[in-house]
Amino acid sequence: MTGDVWSFSENAAVASEVALAAEGLAPAVQGGPVVVEVGRARDGVRGGGERLVLQGCPQDGPAEALAECISRAAKSLGPAIILVGATREGREVAARLAVKLDVGCLPEASRISSDGKTVSAERSVYAGRVSATLTSPLPCVVTVRPGSFAKSTGATGTVRNYDAGTPEVRVRRLGSSRRETGSVDLKSAKVIVSAGRGVKRKEDLPMLEGLASEMKGALGCSRPLSSDLGWLSEEHHIGLTGVVVKPDLYLAVGISGQLQHIAGMKDSKVVAAVNTDRDAPIFQASDYGIVGDLYQVVPALRKALSARH
Amino acid sequence: MNVAVCVKHAVDEGELRFDPAGRPLIEGAAGKMGAFDKNAVEAALRVRSEVGGEVVGVTVGGADARKSLKEALAMGADRGVHVLDEPHLLNPSRTSALLAASLREAGQFDLVLCAEGSSDTYSGLVPPMVAERLGYAYVGYARKLGVTASEVRAERSLEESIESVASPLPAVISVVSEANEPRYPTLIQIMQASKKPVAEVRAQDLLSAGGTHSVTIGSMFAHSTDRKRIFLEGTTDEAAAKLVDALRKEGVISV
Repeated sequence: MTGDVWSFSENAAVASEVALAAEGLAPAVQGGPVVVEVGRARDGVRGGGERLVLQGCPQDGPAEALAECISRAAKSLGPAIILVGATREGREVAARLAVKLDVGCLPEASRISSDGKTVSAERSVYAGRVSATLTSPLPCVVTVRPGSFAKSTGATGTVRNYDAGTPEVRVRRLGSSRRETGSVDLKSAKVIVSAGRGVKRKEDLPMLEGLASEMKGALGCSRPLSSDLGWLSEEHHIGLTGVVVKPDLYLAVGISGQLQHIAGMKDSKVVAAVNTDRDAPIFQASDYGIVGDLYQVVPALRKALSARH
Repeated sequence: MNVAVCVKHAVDEGELRFDPAGRPLIEGAAGKMGAFDKNAVEAALRVRSEVGGEVVGVTVGGADARKSLKEALAMGADRGVHVLDEPHLLNPSRTSALLAASLREAGQFDLVLCAEGSSDTYSGLVPPMVAERLGYAYVGYARKLGVTASEVRAERSLEESIESVASPLPAVISVVSEANEPRYPTLIQIMQASKKPVAEVRAQDLLSAGGTHSVTIGSMFAHSTDRKRIFLEGTTDEAAAKLVDALRKEGVISV
């Protein structure tokens, strides 16, 4: 079938990535890329091709409403493929959309191609140990793993308004608080120093932050430090259920290397690890390893870094 | 309150083996209850202990999936529903259609609890698809839950914010793993679990009307874990100096 390739994300940064994926895919289905926006076209979203602006839908969602509006537009305009950023809200949008449109859905794609009849998506499964290529007939909804595509630099073409109406929403928002954020942008960091359970106290984190900043990098962590202990905000959390990163250097400090963590950093260019246990799985996923107590190794690393030239 | 909890007999990714060509041996791979599904079961049991009612565990999978269902029963679920289907199809449309159809048959539910995703594939699509198919409200990624007779209040853990919501019942809720600490069943509970009723349904009997959109699994291969695995030895200072040196040679640090 032929048709356009739509892209959508409620997150502006992810929207520009998904737009680039749509640009790459559009020729295969003899259509154009279309960036779907709700309420108005956002300044921060880049993407070539048409801008389809859905009117009537509340601009900030919720996902229930977004899915209903996008499905109304899709039913009348007939896109071949709809790409949705695989954020927490985006997954709900995509799931509902696939059911409403009664089409297939391929999840968590990091690469997408089409032969004009089907769409194929490469994704990581089994906690990152396996790469799988899944194929489904067109039309199809695909969720796109954030960080898999660069951001589009395309300029907006025509803007088309579509009145999608105002759907009924059942879940009421009572309030929202932003997570405390530093200026953490792990996805673009070239160097990441990542802290795990080997760190004994929250007060010891500045030592690792110091190492990270001396390496011109950012601080990340494994799941226990953010989700269980709450020492760092969720945006620091690297792993299957957190952020997926691929820096030039990933330095894992006091991280044992559970598969769910490895899934979040396995595509790093170089991986180094510090751990007291020589048999810790993290060393299997590392280029360089130091067996030792992080409370001695980290200061030694800082000293070695400053001892240059 | 009638509560259903969906569990998946996931591939135990740590036990996964590969053939010499690097293809995973999925058939016959060891399985276990999805790591986050335990949080969903725990959440269901806590709802029951607060407002009373019944907890029904539901799974879709091969004969092996009975093990995970039994684990849910051992943790405290009252009865189980096992939808027998070919395992590991990696098709959330199909899984969600089977779950929704079996839930419709198994009773009138006020609350359907799921994990945020399965620990083996983690697509996060099945819970909202089930909600959409059943026409229930949906609250995803809940880290706190409060249930009354007519409403559920939840705190949602999103990437950049924490959102408080109120949802009417019936609702499908997915919980994140920080929502609770799952209980461990005792030996007695494990033994008693085999006596709890489990209804078995065949997938083809639930999806006679054409089924769902196909997903074909093309190639599957091991992610290359081509790492150098060099241990830097010596005193702490020596090892640290060697590492900094190696990282400079790799050109990955600019200091």
